[in-house]
Amino acid sequence: MRWDLARRPETAAAAIAAAVAILFAAAGPGGRAGAEDGALVAGSVCEAQELKARKAEEPDLAIEIPPQFDRPFPTLMACRSHEAAWDPEAPGPQQPIPFSHKHHAGEYGMECLYCHSGTERSRMAGVPSVELCMGCHSAFPQEYDELEGIRILKDHWERKEPIPWVQIHRLPEYVKFQHQRHVAAGVECQTCHGPVEELEKLSMVPDRKWWQYGLPTNKLEMGWCIMCHREMGASEDCFTCHY
Amino acid sequence: MPELDRRNFLKLVGASAGAAAAAGCSDHVEKLIPYVVQPEEITPGNPVVYASTCRECPAACGLHVITREGRPIKLEGNPAHPVNRGSLCARGQTSIGRSYHPDRFPGPMKRNAAGALEPVPWADAISAIAAAIARDPGKTFVLGGEVGPTLSRLVDTFAQAVGAGGRTVYEPLAPEALREATRALFGVASVPVFDLTDVDLVVDFGSEFLESGPSPTEHAGQLMDARDVAKRRGDTARLISVNPRLSLTVDNSDEWLAARPGSEGIVALALARVAIENGAGAPEHKALLGTLLAGFGAEEAAAQADLEAADLVRVGKALARAKRAVALPPGPALTSRRAVDTAAAVLLLDHVLGAVGRSVHVPPAADLPQPSYRDVLALVEAMKAGNVGVLLVHDANPVYSLPRASGFAEALGRVPLVVSFASAADETTAQAHFVLPDHTPLESWGDASPRPGVRSLIQPTLRPLYDTRALGDTLLDLGRAVGGAAAAALPQGSFRGVLETAWTGEDFRGALAKGGSFTSIPSAPVGLAAVSGLEVVAPMLTGGGSHVLVAFPHAFLHDGRGANLPWLQEIPDTVTKVSWASWAEVSTRTAEALGVETGDTISVETSAGRLEAQVYVRGGIRDDVVAVPMGQGHTVGRWASREADGEAGVARGVNVADALPAGVDERGGRAWLTERATLASTGVHRRLPLLQFADNQRQRELAESVSLVSLLEGNGHAAPADASHGGAEAPHGEGHGAANGHGGDHGEGHELKVPFDPAKDAAEASAYRWGMTVDLDRCTGCSACVAACYVENNVPLVGEDEIRRVRPMMWLRINRYVGEGEPELVPGRDHPLESRERLGDTDVRHLPMLCQHCGAAPCEPVCPVFAAYHNEEGLNGMIYNRCIGTRYCANNCPYKVRRFNYFDNQIERWPEPMRLMLNPDVTVRAQGVMEKCTFCIQRIQRARQTAKHEGRPIGDGEVVTACQQACPTSAIHFGNLRDPESQVSKKAADPKRGYHALHVLNTRPAVTYLSKVLRGKVEG
Repeated sequence: MRWDLARRPETAAAAIAAAVAILFAAAGPGGRAGAEDGALVAGSVCEAQELKARKAEEPDLAIEIPPQFDRPFPTLMACRSHEAAWDPEAPGPQQPIPFSHKHHAGEYGMECLYCHSGTERSRMAGVPSVELCMGCHSAFPQEYDELEGIRILKDHWERKEPIPWVQIHRLPEYVKFQHQRHVAAGVECQTCHGPVEELEKLSMVPDRKWWQYGLPTNKLEMGWCIMCHREMGASEDCFTCHY
Repeated sequence: MPELDRRNFLKLVGASAGAAAAAGCSDHVEKLIPYVVQPEEITPGNPVVYASTCRECPAACGLHVITREGRPIKLEGNPAHPVNRGSLCARGQTSIGRSYHPDRFPGPMKRNAAGALEPVPWADAISAIAAAIARDPGKTFVLGGEVGPTLSRLVDTFAQAVGAGGRTVYEPLAPEALREATRALFGVASVPVFDLTDVDLVVDFGSEFLESGPSPTEHAGQLMDARDVAKRRGDTARLISVNPRLSLTVDNSDEWLAARPGSEGIVALALARVAIENGAGAPEHKALLGTLLAGFGAEEAAAQADLEAADLVRVGKALARAKRAVALPPGPALTSRRAVDTAAAVLLLDHVLGAVGRSVHVPPAADLPQPSYRDVLALVEAMKAGNVGVLLVHDANPVYSLPRASGFAEALGRVPLVVSFASAADETTAQAHFVLPDHTPLESWGDASPRPGVRSLIQPTLRPLYDTRALGDTLLDLGRAVGGAAAAALPQGSFRGVLETAWTGEDFRGALAKGGSFTSIPSAPVGLAAVSGLEVVAPMLTGGGSHVLVAFPHAFLHDGRGANLPWLQEIPDTVTKVSWASWAEVSTRTAEALGVETGDTISVETSAGRLEAQVYVRGGIRDDVVAVPMGQGHTVGRWASREADGEAGVARGVNVADALPAGVDERGGRAWLTERATLASTGVHRRLPLLQFADNQRQRELAESVSLVSLLEGNGHAAPADASHGGAEAPHGEGHGAANGHGGDHGEGHELKVPFDPAKDAAEASAYRWGMTVDLDRCTGCSACVAACYVENNVPLVGEDEIRRVRPMMWLRINRYVGEGEPELVPGRDHPLESRERLGDTDVRHLPMLCQHCGAAPCEPVCPVFAAYHNEEGLNGMIYNRCIGTRYCANNCPYKVRRFNYFDNQIERWPEPMRLMLNPDVTVRAQGVMEKCTFCIQRIQRARQTAKHEGRPIGDGEVVTACQQACPTSAIHFGNLRDPESQVSKKAADPKRGYHALHVLNTRPAVTYLSKVLRGKVEG
C-alpha cells in the first residue's frame, strides 16, 4: 500500500513544504527573502537548520529564524537525509518512508545486523519490524515529528500495520541464497548490496570490482555469483542454490 | 567485421528479448512486508515447531507442526508421542490442507430469503439462534461427531445449561459393536485398545488395522517391529487375515483365509475350539467346549465360511502354540446385523489365547457420551415428528454419511432452525439456516484422550485465517445469549480457560511443549462375564441378489471426511491404484459372467437402492462379493464433488450408503454388511483414473522376495521352498545373492553385468554419497510417504482428467505387484492387464518407486541443457531454471519417475489461500519444466548449513527425508553411503536381501531395496 498524500491534507502540506525547501536549496538562497531587509527567513525547522549551516559558512548572510523553528531537532543531518531519501531523481524506487541507510548505517554507524538480525542465523536477513524502528524512535524528542517519515512510521505503529517496503535486492524464487553461510564465510554485506552506508536512497549499485575486466557487473545475476564462488573456492554445484 | 557466431547471436537476441521483457514487467514490484511486532521465537527463514494433536481419526496421533513465519507448512509425527512415535499417516499429513481450504467460510453465514448463504455479523447470528433456543429449549438438540474430552464436556454442559432436549454423538464408523461386545463379554462398556508390541501371531478378522483401523500408524509400526527378521529371526510375527477381499492388510499378511463375509465369528469360535483342544486357554475355557463351542467344529465352520477345515485346524494349532497371539475383530466393512456377537466371538478367542490384558486392553468405561447410532435414528424420528426446533450440528456431515434410507435429509427439512459449525461447505451446510464456522484444528485449542494415561493437547499454530470462532467459544456465547440460568451454569471466560481448568493438576506449559501428558497405566484386569448369550450365526442378509455388497472404508477418504482434500483424492488407492473416483471390485469370474472389464460401468442394486460404478476386475476378491469403497459421492465441495472439473453440484463417484438400508446390529449399532446385490452391466465404458495397469512385474525383479527359510539358513540362493514354509506359490520364495551378484533360481536369472558399489558414484573428494534403503518387508504400502512428499515438495495436483491421461505429478509412488509375474504380456490386451491376484495368495509386494539417483543415470546424457546432471555428492540434480522441457530425460528414465508440468499447475489449480501452505524452501515449478524426487535436497542443505556452522560434517540421521520421516514402519532409511557406520550403509550391505531395481540396466542406483520376506503359512 502506498502512502496516499491526497487523502491526508496535513501530510500533503508538509510534503509541499519539503519540496519548496528542496527547490530553494538547489537555487541557492535556502529560504524566503525577508520582507524588509532581504534576510532569508526559515519556514520550517529543517530550513532553519539549513540556514544556520549556511550562516556558519557565510557569516555575512542575513537570516531570520522565527522562534517556533529555532530548535535543535531534527538535526541538519536528519533533515538532509530525509530529503535525499525521497529524492525522485535519485536512482532506486520510492519507498513508503524516506529511510536513509546512509544516515543510520553511515553517519550513526549502526551495525547492519542490528536491524537485519536474521543474517547470522537464517537464510533470510529479514527486514526489521515496526516495533524495532519504534524501539529507538519512540525515545527521540517529539520535535522529530517535524519529519514526515517519522510521522508515517508512528502512524503505522499506532495502526499496527506493517510498512510495505519495496524490495530492491531480489533473487528469483528458484535461487535459495543463504545469508547465514555467506556472512559466516566473511563476505561483507557490501559485496552484494553495494556501499549501502553511503546511500541516502537505496538502489542496486553496479559492481566496481569486475567491470575493468569486462566481466559481468550486474549484481545478483548468476555469472556474477559464480565468479565470486570461483574466487573463494566455494561450491559451484547447481544444487547449492537451485532446488 | 567479425563473424557473428552463435553465442554472440544468442546474446544479442537475448538482450533485445530481455529489454522487451524488462519493459513489460517493470511495473511488477515485490514488497517486503515485515512484522509489526516480531515474535521472539520467529526468525524469518527458520522453521518453528509446535507440538499438537491430529484430529483426523480417534487414534489421536501426536503432531509436530512445522511453521514458517507463522504459517504451518508441514505436519509431522511427534516422536515423543506414545501413539505414533514420530510417524504420521497420509490422512494426518494432508489434514494441513483443511486450514488453507478454499471452501472455508469467511465468517458466519445466514440463509437468506433467496435460499443462499450470506454473511451475517456474529452478534446477530448468536442472538437469533439464542432466541430460538430460549423459545423452546426442550426442542433444541445437538448432533455431532466425537470431539476431545474437554470440548465434549463443554458441549454437555451447554446442552444441560440451556435445557436442550438432548445431545447425540454420531460417528459413521464408530466401533459400537465392539463396545457392546466388550460389555457383553467383560461387563465393561468400552472399546478395547489393541497393542501389537512383541506379538508373534496376529489373526485379523477384517479390522483393516493397517489402513482404516483404530490406530493404523501405531499398529503398523508395532506389527513391523514384531516382524523384523533381523531381530526376531525365526520368531518373526505372522499375520493371518480372514477377509473376503485382498485389502491392504491382507496384502501384508502371510496367509489369507477368504472366508464368506459375515462368517468371521464362526471362524473365530472354530479357531478357539481347536486352540483349546490343543492346550490353549484356562479351565474355564475348556468348559466351553461342551457348551458354546460345541457346534463349532472345524468341519462345520469351514462349510459355513467356505474355507478348508484343514486350514482352520492348522491355524488353530498355531494359535495354541503361539506365546503372544492376538485376534483383531472386524472393522466397519464386516459389521453385519450380528456384529456384536461376531466381535464378541473374536474377543472370546483373544481371551482364550490369553491376549486380554496383554495385547488387548479393556479401559474403564468412558464417562463421556459415546457415539450411538440408535440415538441418531431416534433423533431422526423426532425430527420427522416435528419435535426438533433447533438442531446444532458440529463435526459431522450427516446429510452425506447417514444412509438415504434413514430419511435424515428430508427430516432436516422439517427442522425450523438448523445450525452447522462446519468450517468448510458440505452437504449439511447446504441445508443449514446458519453456519457458525469453527476454527480448523490447526487454529484451535483442544485435547484428546485416546486411552488411559495418554492426554494429548491441541494448540493453535495458525492465527485464524477467517472470521471464525472455536466451537467451544461459540457455544459459550450462545449459552450466555440465552441468558438466565443457562448463562449462570456455563463456565466463565473462553474455551481456552476451560481447557486450562480441565488440565489443572498437570504441567500445562510442559504439556504444550511435549504435546501432552503421557503416563503408562497398566490395564485393569477384566474377567469373562457371561458367554451364554452369545449367538454366533451366519449374517442375515437382505435382498435376493447373487453378490454380497461389502462397503469398506476408503484408505484415505475414510467415511468421506477426506474427500474434499485434493491430495487424498489424487494419491492412488493403496490397493487398486484408482484415484478421484469410485469403483466396484468384482472377481475375474464375476466380470466374465457379466461380460464386463475394468472401466465398464455396472449397476449394483439392493433392496435399499441402486448405484452405478465403474468395475475394477481383480482376482483378489471372492466370487460372491462386490466391494465398493465408502467416501465418494459428495455433491458439495470443490474436490469432493466435481466442482473443480467444472460441474458444480455433480457427485464425484457414488456414495455406497445410498444402496444400504438404515440397518442395525443386535444392539442398535450401524450395520454395513446387510445387503445382497444384483449386478448388471450398463454397457457404458470409460477409462478409470488408474495409475497402475498391471500387478504383473514380468519377472523384471523390481520387487523381489526371499523366503524366510532360505534367509535363516544363511543361504542367499534358496533351496527349494519347503511346502510348510514356502510362499503361497513356491517358486516365489527364492532368495537372491549379494547386491552385486544377483542370481535367483529363475533359470536364466538376470545377471548384473558390472558389479558396483553405490558409495563410489560421487566425486572422489566428496565426503558424501547420499543413498537410501527401502525395506519391502517393512513397507505396508500405506502411502504416508507419498502424502509427505506431496506436502514437503509443493508437488502439484492435476485432477481426474490428467490422471486419466496418466500425467500424475507425484515424485514418489507405490507400485503394487503380485509375485514375480509372467515374463510376457498377454497379447491383444492393453490396459489394464489381467489381475494376477488369486484367492488365498498373499505374495503382494509394495514397491515405493522414486528417483533412484543413479550413478549412471540415463536421464543425464540426453539433456541438451544440463538441467539433469550429476552432482559431486552423487545426487541426480534437476535444475528447473535450466530446463527447457524437451522431456528427453523422462523418456529415457527406466523407472518412470520424472514428471512434466504440462500446465502451470500451482497457479492454475491452487486457489487462494492454498499457496500459504507452500514450502518456501522448495521452488514452485513453472509450466514446461520437468521435476522429480530430489532426495529432499532442501533438507540436506539445511543440515549442511547447521553442520558447517558448527564446523563438523553432517552426522548420520541428521538428514531425514520427508518420506522417511512419515513412514509408520521405518521402512525407509537415508544417509551417507560413504560413512560405513551410517545406518543406510549397514542396511544397504544386507547380503541376502539388498538389491537394486532394474540392476541389469547398469544404472547404478543409490536406492537399495531390501527384499520382502515370504514367511509362508503357519505350521499346524
